[in-house]
Amino acid sequence: MNARARWIRGVAGTAVAVLGMSALAACGSGEDSGDGGVTTLTMTVWGGDVDKKSYQQRVDMLEEAHPDIKVDLQLIPSEQYEQKVQTMIAGGNGPDIMQVAEGVNVYSSKNQILPLDEYASKAGLDLSERFGPTGSLYSYEDKVYAIPDRSGAMIVYYNKDLFDAAGVDYPTADWTQEDAQAAMEKLTVPGKQWGYGGAGWWAQWWSFAYQNGGQIIDDAGAPTANSPEVVDALQWANDLTFKDHVVPTAAEYADMGPDMGGDPAFAAQKVAMNTTGFWAIGGLLEADFAWDIAPMWQGEEQAVSAFGSGLAISRDSESPDKAFEAIDYLTDTDAQQVIIDNAQDVPANVEVQQSDAFLKPEWATKDINMGAFAQSSDFVFTSPLIPEWNEMQAAFDDNLGTFWNEGGDAKTQLDAIQTELESIVGQG
Amino acid sequence: MATDLGAVLGAARAQGPRRARGRRADRLPRPKLSRRGRTEARFFWLFVSPWLVGFLGFLLGPMIASVYISLTEWDSFTPPVFVGLDNYVQALTGDPVFWQALWNTFYYAAISVPLGLAVGLWLANLLNKRVRGRKFFRTMIYLPTLVPLVATAMVFKMVLAPSGPLNDLLGLVGVEGPNWLLDPLWVKPALIVLSAWGAGSATVLLLSAMNGIPREFYEAAEIDGAGPFRQFWSITFPQITPIIFFNLIMGLIGAFQIFSQVYILTQGGPDNASMMVVPLLFDQAFGFYHFGYASAVAWLLFVVIIGFTALAFRTSRRWVFYETEVR
Repeated sequence: MNARARWIRGVAGTAVAVLGMSALAACGSGEDSGDGGVTTLTMTVWGGDVDKKSYQQRVDMLEEAHPDIKVDLQLIPSEQYEQKVQTMIAGGNGPDIMQVAEGVNVYSSKNQILPLDEYASKAGLDLSERFGPTGSLYSYEDKVYAIPDRSGAMIVYYNKDLFDAAGVDYPTADWTQEDAQAAMEKLTVPGKQWGYGGAGWWAQWWSFAYQNGGQIIDDAGAPTANSPEVVDALQWANDLTFKDHVVPTAAEYADMGPDMGGDPAFAAQKVAMNTTGFWAIGGLLEADFAWDIAPMWQGEEQAVSAFGSGLAISRDSESPDKAFEAIDYLTDTDAQQVIIDNAQDVPANVEVQQSDAFLKPEWATKDINMGAFAQSSDFVFTSPLIPEWNEMQAAFDDNLGTFWNEGGDAKTQLDAIQTELESIVGQG
Repeated sequence: MATDLGAVLGAARAQGPRRARGRRADRLPRPKLSRRGRTEARFFWLFVSPWLVGFLGFLLGPMIASVYISLTEWDSFTPPVFVGLDNYVQALTGDPVFWQALWNTFYYAAISVPLGLAVGLWLANLLNKRVRGRKFFRTMIYLPTLVPLVATAMVFKMVLAPSGPLNDLLGLVGVEGPNWLLDPLWVKPALIVLSAWGAGSATVLLLSAMNGIPREFYEAAEIDGAGPFRQFWSITFPQITPIIFFNLIMGLIGAFQIFSQVYILTQGGPDNASMMVVPLLFDQAFGFYHFGYASAVAWLLFVVIIGFTALAFRTSRRWVFYETEVR
């Protein structure tokens, strides 16, 4: 009996230990030092090797120009970023400068990052002059909480070889959705090649919705996900796959390889057009086919989504003045040019976007229509960056999974999403 | 389930006093420790302290904290707001996704655990035979367990592709394979297929238990005219039931806590068809900043797991055979 009791207790003990893994723990530690007139700022950013190189280079420039500032740069892998930063903040040890994107208002709505309008006016920084309409993107209740750092519109990548072979004119910003579809049809070879990479990602089909004059969340903050404009856009995006067969289905993508989607399929010449962000350029430089980029086509009106990130100052920062000084420098022309020199992303600074360094980047092995980014920035729509951004995305994912995989009725799905969004936004 | 849990606790209580009384009798006179005894006691605390600190600081502490957090609404930034049992009520009555995740997890555990045991038992029995290249086969069967889950998941994405190797194989026998990971109906079976991949670790434990069975048993059985099947069911199986039981408990706990496979392969999709409890908890805490709700879900899962573990212990006396325990 004794041996058995011990055995049982042993197993039970192991059981409890394994169970404990699911209990939540949060802890953080660290310190800020501010001795000898030099202020050390912690700065958290996400990304991979290119990002590490670019941010470090910019930080080095900053430290040289401002000898009284030292930056402890922490690069966190993208998929862990939110969690890590959240843990730092929960531990009362938030970074002085933190990179933020669509999730910015999780922090701002809970006063975890500082409103920056006063800092900007004190420093004589005119956001709309430096960044154009993007300047106020990271706002919550009329206050700016992050200074744009990287910002590029979604663009159309097209395979010139396939376009030439099919005798189709290259895409332009003047294309309508109908023009785009006509081109996709001509560029499709059933079972072998498709005209377009698909629009299953929010940034893609939301662009169509805004082109139709719709909105996901209206200006008053109420969800309008099942408005006719949005329904039409979603149905069109889905029909391209399941009715017109000019976009690979999820099953066809899965057969091409693991983690296959529009970007790798475009590089593999399986799709003739793909809509995505700046990041695809780097991988295509070595491609052995002719390609270029163009601004997004239009619907009733011109609209396209943009991606990027900004820099914010956390509530925990002991020297927000210095932190803002750093951000001011990092988003100024000199430091911003590093972003394009390293082919990392589109710098948010408009002046840099229009400079030769951007329009004719050194690393470009062929002519690329880099002006497409500046051209697009005139009609970028403002994404509804609500504090419940992640929950909103989950509501879409939860209701559109089968819809994207097997086709379906957009109205039915969006009605369900609308109901969920109303309860999510209502909670706030 | 609740009655079983109560019964188990009752059984534990029934044993309790006897043990407690015995200990109290030892303690009453409290003999003074000799110097050597004191040194030994000091060393005891010294050597046990790493575990003690780890347990109290990193396990028990956070667990107690999470009980409190589960009674609050907390976004990790602003101070928690006490809401009583609201989170539990919300999970049990107001959140269809919680029930769906729980059902999915049951589905997964109910099939993957017995399947894993059956496959493990079958493989172990095969490897226990004196066949040529036995060591090689043992290595090959354990090898999959050593491959990092991320890599395995990537491979399975290809294996489970609509026109992937698995469906090609099914095609050979005239079965048209489904779109495993893309079809709400087949995504759970797909995860179960992946779980069978890890049967090697159970196999190794079962095999070592089989090796420990005295040859004499089989010799005696043979003389009595028992065939291979009879030998397996009357000797091998009863002898290894403690290990099967161990694998059952660990398998249950592991299956209820399935996370990485879901996170890498499907993210809970399509349409929450593969959403399990732990990924749900993770999303709620780190995606949506609902720490209170996530903690409540964690404790509900804890109750479910404890319930099933208790149930397994309860039934164990009927089928688990301990040699040291003569009945």
